[in-house]
Amino acid sequence: MPQFGSDIFLLIANWIRGLFGANTYAADVVMDIVKFIMIYVVLVLAVMVFVMLERKVCAWMQLRVGPNRLGPRGWGQIIGDMIKLMGKEDFRPDNVDKWPWALAPMFFLGITIMVFAVLPFGRGMVPVDLDLGIFYILAISALSVLPVVTAGWASNNKYSLLGGMRSVAQMISYEIPLVFSLLGVVMITQTFKTSAIVEAQQHVWFVLLQPIGFVVYVIAAMAEINRAPFDLIEAESEFGCGYFTEYSGLRFGLFYLAEYANLFLISAVAATVFLGGWQGPFLPGWLWFAIKVLFMVFLIMWFRWTFPRFRVDQLMHFGWKVLLPLSLANIVLTGVGIYVYQLIFPGIGG
Amino acid sequence: MFGKGLIKGLGITGKHLFNRKVTEFYPEQKPVLPPRTRSSMYLDVPKCTACGICANTCPNNVITITSGKDENNKRVLTGYTMDTGRCLFCGLCTEACPSKALHTTTEFENAVYVKDELLWDMMKKYKADASKQEEGKDNG
Ligand code: SF4
Ligand code: SF4
Repeated sequence: MPQFGSDIFLLIANWIRGLFGANTYAADVVMDIVKFIMIYVVLVLAVMVFVMLERKVCAWMQLRVGPNRLGPRGWGQIIGDMIKLMGKEDFRPDNVDKWPWALAPMFFLGITIMVFAVLPFGRGMVPVDLDLGIFYILAISALSVLPVVTAGWASNNKYSLLGGMRSVAQMISYEIPLVFSLLGVVMITQTFKTSAIVEAQQHVWFVLLQPIGFVVYVIAAMAEINRAPFDLIEAESEFGCGYFTEYSGLRFGLFYLAEYANLFLISAVAATVFLGGWQGPFLPGWLWFAIKVLFMVFLIMWFRWTFPRFRVDQLMHFGWKVLLPLSLANIVLTGVGIYVYQLIFPGIGG
Repeated sequence: MFGKGLIKGLGITGKHLFNRKVTEFYPEQKPVLPPRTRSSMYLDVPKCTACGICANTCPNNVITITSGKDENNKRVLTGYTMDTGRCLFCGLCTEACPSKALHTTTEFENAVYVKDELLWDMMKKYKADASKQEEGKDNG
């Protein structure tokens, strides 16, 4: 059932493959390069949109109009921002641990880009459709704590170090509810494959079957990427800017890019796992995916500009005493639900 | 109920998203300041008797007056400068002025690039203003 405009990217991909004829190995290599470039381009464009959206949404919520000089109604401000960041001096403070300090922002962004490889951007548009897709997402994104703590440590600054240490505590505590919240969906679909999870939501989105899982996922994911109200890691009023206090110019820009790429990532995972991915009527799949991601991004921005920041102890209490039991209860409920379902409709499902 | 405050907060920010914005587009759109805003000074030179009360009242020693005598041996103002770098626009001088020659005004774009320009020659200012008004009258 081809939809209008839906398969345009697949057609392009087939055309590129066709250029190499029988040489499938060369075609694979070229396709991988093309996919990587596409992910990067989509990522950068999405981040530009999100940064602008964030500035506008936060302004509107505070009864301001936000940036209003560059471009139509100020929406071109991001170009000015980028030129400013790129035009800055590449300044390295004395006494920083040179190599870890320089590598941390690159690894932070690199890890984020890696995760995008398994996301289904549309029908048949998974760059690398791994059997263990969800597992891969969780495993790779768990790594992102390392560059943060590296940056904090290598900056040789007590505030950066405090930020880095907090990030370890926070990310590890919220990693567990995050994993458990996705487990409910995996139990229902009996697969880790992202494309299969989207296929399974043809009739009903998993946000309806797993409302608790969805809520826990959104909260834990926001904590995982350090967004307000969980931005204790870069709490400006407490210690400057946390782990990237000592960064400026393009290196800061990389952290900034990675931060919004992470926002894109958790929104995309939420859209894939809970909101039906690219499934939707009339419009092409990739457009549905974009709409759902934008919806999630807006939701998370709304939370950010409404709620005040947690205290460190509140954060820990909430993670371990509320979210973790909630996600465990959700798993038990899902298990019971699946069992009852199989009793009523024997032979359906696993 | 637990979490009610969160929902309420979301409601408020959600409403603000669509409310009318309060931002003023400053250089294009001048703000309408309350009439009693004190952000600039204006001296009505003909009214001034050069009594020097304003200069004595000022806590910051902003005002410097020089005066001379005219043909009727009456005191007239010859120079009136205000070092606005020190002026608070507190308005004490205007209240002290017995002939109501000194006013505060709502004009606020007083930033200058060099320190010397902070020294306002109030008589010159009056003359410039008067000639501007003349022009306005001629044109109108
Ligand atoms: S406004 Fe206040 S500070 Fe300024 S000249 Fe008058 S008395 Fe002095
Ligand atoms: S108090 Fe009034 S009349 Fe006297 S010198 Fe000052 S401005 Fe002139």
